[in-house]
Amino acid sequence: MEIETVRKEETIYQHLISRGVTRREFLQFCTWMGGCIGLQASGVAAMVKALETKKRIPVIWLHFQECTCCSESFLRSSHPIVADILLDKISLDYTETLMAASGQQAEKSLRDTMAKYKGEYLLCIEGSVPMGEDGAYCCIGGKTAKSIAEEVAEHAMAVIAWGNCACSGCVQAAKPNPTEAMPIKKIIAGKPIVNVQGCPPIAEVMAGVLVHLLTFGVIPQLDNLGRPKAFYARRVHDTCYRRPNYDAGLFVESFDDENARKGYCLYKVGCKGPTTYNSCGTIRWNGGVSFPIQAGHPCIGCSEANFWDNGPFYQRLPNFPGFGIEATADTIGAVAAGAAVVGAAAHAVLTNVRKRKHIGEQAGEDAEQAEHNHAAQQNSNPSQKS
Amino acid sequence: MNTRIVVDPVTRIEGHLRIEAEIKDGKIVDAWSAGTMVRGLEIILKGRDPRDAWAFCERVCGVCTTVHALASVRAVEDAVAIKVPPNAELIRNIMFCTQYIHDHVVHFYHLHALDWVDVVSALKADPVATSALAQSVSKWAKSSPGYFSDIQKRLTKFVESGQLGIFANGYWGHPAFKLPPEANLMAVAHYLEALEWQKEIVKVHTIFGGKNPHPNYLVGGMPCSININEPNAINAERLALVGQLLQQGLEFVEQVYVPDVLAVAPFYLDWAGIGGGLENYLCYGDLPTNGIADVSSYKFPRGAILGRDLTQVHPVDPRDDTGIQEFIDHSWYEYEGGAAGLHPWQGETKLKYSGPKPPYEHLDVDAKYSWLKTPRWKGHAMEVGPLSRMLVGYAAGNPEIKDAVTEALAALKAPASVLFSTLGRTAARAIESRLTARWGIDFYNQLLANIKAGDTRTFTRDKWEPASWPAMCKGVGTSEAPRGALAHWIVIKDQKIANYQLVVPSTWNASPRDAKGQRSAYEASLIGTPVHDPQQPLEIIRTIHSFDPCLACAVH
Amino acid sequence: MNASHDYQRVYVWEQPVRWFHWINAACIVALGVTGWLIAHPPGLLNGGEAAESYWFGTVRFVHFASSYLFVANFAFRLYWASVGNKYTHWRNFFPVTKAQLQQVWAVLKVDVFHSSDKPVHTLGHNSVAYFTYMGTGLLTVFQVCSGFALYASMSHSWFPQLFTWLVPLFGSEQNLRIFHYAALWAFLVFTIIHIYLVFYHDYVEGHGVLSSMIGGWKFMEKEKIAAAEGTGISGLPVRPPTAMTAPKPKSEI
Ligand code: HEM
Ligand code: HEM
Ligand code: NFV
Ligand code: SF4
Ligand code: SF4
Ligand code: F3S
Ligand SMILES: [Mg+2]
Repeated sequence: MEIETVRKEETIYQHLISRGVTRREFLQFCTWMGGCIGLQASGVAAMVKALETKKRIPVIWLHFQECTCCSESFLRSSHPIVADILLDKISLDYTETLMAASGQQAEKSLRDTMAKYKGEYLLCIEGSVPMGEDGAYCCIGGKTAKSIAEEVAEHAMAVIAWGNCACSGCVQAAKPNPTEAMPIKKIIAGKPIVNVQGCPPIAEVMAGVLVHLLTFGVIPQLDNLGRPKAFYARRVHDTCYRRPNYDAGLFVESFDDENARKGYCLYKVGCKGPTTYNSCGTIRWNGGVSFPIQAGHPCIGCSEANFWDNGPFYQRLPNFPGFGIEATADTIGAVAAGAAVVGAAAHAVLTNVRKRKHIGEQAGEDAEQAEHNHAAQQNSNPSQKS
Repeated sequence: MNTRIVVDPVTRIEGHLRIEAEIKDGKIVDAWSAGTMVRGLEIILKGRDPRDAWAFCERVCGVCTTVHALASVRAVEDAVAIKVPPNAELIRNIMFCTQYIHDHVVHFYHLHALDWVDVVSALKADPVATSALAQSVSKWAKSSPGYFSDIQKRLTKFVESGQLGIFANGYWGHPAFKLPPEANLMAVAHYLEALEWQKEIVKVHTIFGGKNPHPNYLVGGMPCSININEPNAINAERLALVGQLLQQGLEFVEQVYVPDVLAVAPFYLDWAGIGGGLENYLCYGDLPTNGIADVSSYKFPRGAILGRDLTQVHPVDPRDDTGIQEFIDHSWYEYEGGAAGLHPWQGETKLKYSGPKPPYEHLDVDAKYSWLKTPRWKGHAMEVGPLSRMLVGYAAGNPEIKDAVTEALAALKAPASVLFSTLGRTAARAIESRLTARWGIDFYNQLLANIKAGDTRTFTRDKWEPASWPAMCKGVGTSEAPRGALAHWIVIKDQKIANYQLVVPSTWNASPRDAKGQRSAYEASLIGTPVHDPQQPLEIIRTIHSFDPCLACAVH
Repeated sequence: MNASHDYQRVYVWEQPVRWFHWINAACIVALGVTGWLIAHPPGLLNGGEAAESYWFGTVRFVHFASSYLFVANFAFRLYWASVGNKYTHWRNFFPVTKAQLQQVWAVLKVDVFHSSDKPVHTLGHNSVAYFTYMGTGLLTVFQVCSGFALYASMSHSWFPQLFTWLVPLFGSEQNLRIFHYAALWAFLVFTIIHIYLVFYHDYVEGHGVLSSMIGGWKFMEKEKIAAAEGTGISGLPVRPPTAMTAPKPKSEI
């Protein structure tokens, strides 16, 4: 049964005020969120104004090849008012994880929003799209993920790719990628795509990206991989609280050794923080409680493309590509250097055996003979006397 | 005339599930359950470092996040004979209990409740009467008339905005909704509270594992070091936070979740006779208190029940190659040797789609129709999950479980037979949430005692180096995931994964039928379910949701 | 019997080239050692407090500082390849003429396969050497590009940012890093062979190659000089190929 209601759209601010949020709390929220997305004070003012005047934006959230932990992470959005405001200021019209309707009724919700808000809805995608077997590796309602993504994206205002699955294919795209899983940017063209990386992304980062979009009506500034700079401009390593240990050369040699108990740097047990761009060191996880390194585990690089294939997690550098998984650069290098030394030594011996005579011919003479020749030359060549 | 209906997508679950059902005279006479998405994790794991496997496996599912990591490190530790230090086991157990109450609460309120609760009816509730109702079932503090009145106003505003969001096109007003408006309003309030609460309890994972979803695990123990005199390790402050979170977790379970289930159940006692399905229940057991190898030390006992005969618990051996086997008669896979069923150590994963070319209207259910394999125990189709755990514990005479079940049945004034149903499954989940919430605190206290006694070890380095492993070995890691019996089987050759197979709770429950035509749990449970309006599959999703489906898990 | 040994001193390596060479060698040693330490930091100072030490930071600083010197020195050599003497000219490093390729074959036969006893005498490098240095040059270019691409995220100056395009080409920083690291081994292999060959040539041919990178001079019999110049190699286009253009010893100028 559908409820008949007059569509009285109200602004986010009205909505919040009407359900008891004080203006002070509202402003506090804006300031906090502004801080999170790196705004100056003037930017916060703009955000306040935008939230006061914007309607709840319709959001369609599609799920393809994924583990739903991006949705789960999103639910963990931590500042108290954030969970509320996300319920209140977006209209999450389609998400298989939470919506009441199933089957045909769910399809109807999707169609309704696409028709009613053509060009105005935000499309969020969680998961990758398999291209193998004509897409039969992921079907919803009998249709392939690819066809759904293309259809819904056509009239979307913008696309957010949630998590490593949608941004880079994540675990299912790890070698040998049996289903030919593809990131969203390879499927959808001609739309702004915001890649919100991580496996999963940090809840507050997800919330922050949405707030940015809703507030300014523009997508946040992106880096060359399409990630919002506000959250992905720094390496975990640059914001890691264990960094002083790194600079001091104080390293954990093995899990739970004396050094681990002192919180030394995890570089030698495989930390990928030096090549991983994420906000784990600044925003941290689950309301700022901790992050992997703080809990003693090296960063595995979960916000980087193909991090699954970038070598074993407890080894700092990957194995050398093309030489089978056993070969580290060291084994190859040591073999080559060893061969060079052995080769040179063998060559030296061979040279002395084979070229003994030739070398003699060249220099040809003992010291006496040399003296003699020299004298002879000088005689025949008086002009060169010096 | 039979009507064939399709529910696809089944929402408020994890993953991509499709149900096709045949209805005759308002009742389901046959049903097919299909998983329509595959990723091929078992293929991807081959050739990798076994110590990395937990991270890959954990990404099988972000909802039951951590259980696959746990099963995976256990499988490797079993294969290369590592015994983890007691603190590591305790920390794993604490994380396990945290996972249970988080997952079960989120399932009940956010994935299941809208099958029982008519959100729109809550608009008509009297906040004063709602307050009285709430206070009669629990001492939970948030229960004043003003509180419920605020919630109601907020809901009214929301509905009037015309943008119904996740509630759009729900089955509001359907005659299968039986709750009075006040109970509906109370449930809506708790839906929102649970949303707030759930993000807190997971901080236990953040402290020990660095993040949630997908906390970090480690072969040989846990990565977090304990040092009570260090700012950079698990110290008094970290432990205090864990203690407080576990306490808050227990309070919510005891004062909100369990009372709500007990308050709602009497309105739906007809559902104690619907959705029973299979009569066999399987449980690997979990929560070791003396090392994983000592099965008798588990808080959740291991065993199988056949034909609902609670007088006998059959022993289960995951290593027995005639015990657990996977079949692919109706699954889009191929076995090299054409074997009928394979024990997971010999298991194969070769994708071979043979269904209709999308877009399609119907699957060819006589042939292959799902990406799930079909697991069987000694040839029997088994149900796994909270109900199986409670039944096996009850039948095995485990005192804590027996008391908890008896207490719940007394509160409902119902005989044990009501457990074999849709309602029974939902109740079993609440019962075990309370148990695990309490056990979590017990484990926490043991951890404190260990540390006080001077044992701070969380990891053992023996066998960390692959060079110390035998050239060839195999192991199995069992667990009880929130949705049921979970196990990973690994074969390690020359320090690399030679074979890795997961048989997951939802694989047991949601799989297609086997060669003999035996239905698995979802399909069996739907038979006989009444369907008031074939256009509105509320009753179907009600029973299916009682299993808490996770299809990303089931297929992987 | 012995040919007459009518030696001539030839000024082959001008001073800037020699400076280049030794700065280059020093940089490679410094970069290699610090790079190795970055890759495999020893656990020497364990037990201390972070505030008391900065050795790993210093190692990295030396690596990055030598990187700048390394690249500047190399850039200078590129410049010198067009203004320096004919032995240093850039054309020598490109295998384009038939004579060069023939010489490669001849050198390989003598030096490597030991199947010929007709040594190839050259004033500059021989063609095998030139092409090897071309390879070393490319290795240097790669190492500089990959190094600065990795360095870009740690630096605010503009120069490293010029190289960031390399990262997507390699898929990830992690992948680029492994190639940057592997190049260390390539440099090591080159150095071993290079030093051996310098001694080998000095010993076998007796032109004073070993000291030529210090003083600039080589010594060679006049007829061999004529033969070497006759090939055109390392004589080619810089200056008109007039006969016997070897500069006179300094003392005579
Ligand atoms: C890391 C160590 C070294 C590197 C990378 C290196 C590199 C080079 C390069 C690139 C050239 C060609 C120079 C040009 O054409 O501008 C060269 C020539 C030369 N190097 Fe080195 N060098 C190294 C160490 C040494 C050492 C230790 C010696 C002597 C003991 C040496 C002796 C020479 C000599 C004699 C030549 C001229 C060779 C010839 O005339 O064929 N080098 N080296
Ligand atoms: C002969 C030349 C060079 C050699 C042999 C060399 C060698 C190395 C090695 C072995 C590493 C360790 C890699 C790892 O384990 O992660 C390294 C790291 C690095 N190198 Fe080089 N390198 C050379 C030149 C350069 C240059 C020209 C740069 C330019 C800036 C550079 C920048 C870097 C950077 C940024 C790192 C990573 C350091 C860190 O993560 O803190 N390298 N190098
Ligand atoms: N089925 C399943 Fe899981 C659980 N519980 C896994 O083991 O949910 Ni995703
Ligand atoms: S990105 Fe990672 S966390 Fe998110 S859905 Fe994919 S596998 Fe799960
Ligand atoms: S722990 Fe990792 S991120 Fe932190 S300083 Fe060490 S290497 Fe960098
Ligand atoms: S593993 Fe991921 S969660 Fe952060 S610390 Fe590393 S990016
Ligand atoms: Mg499997």
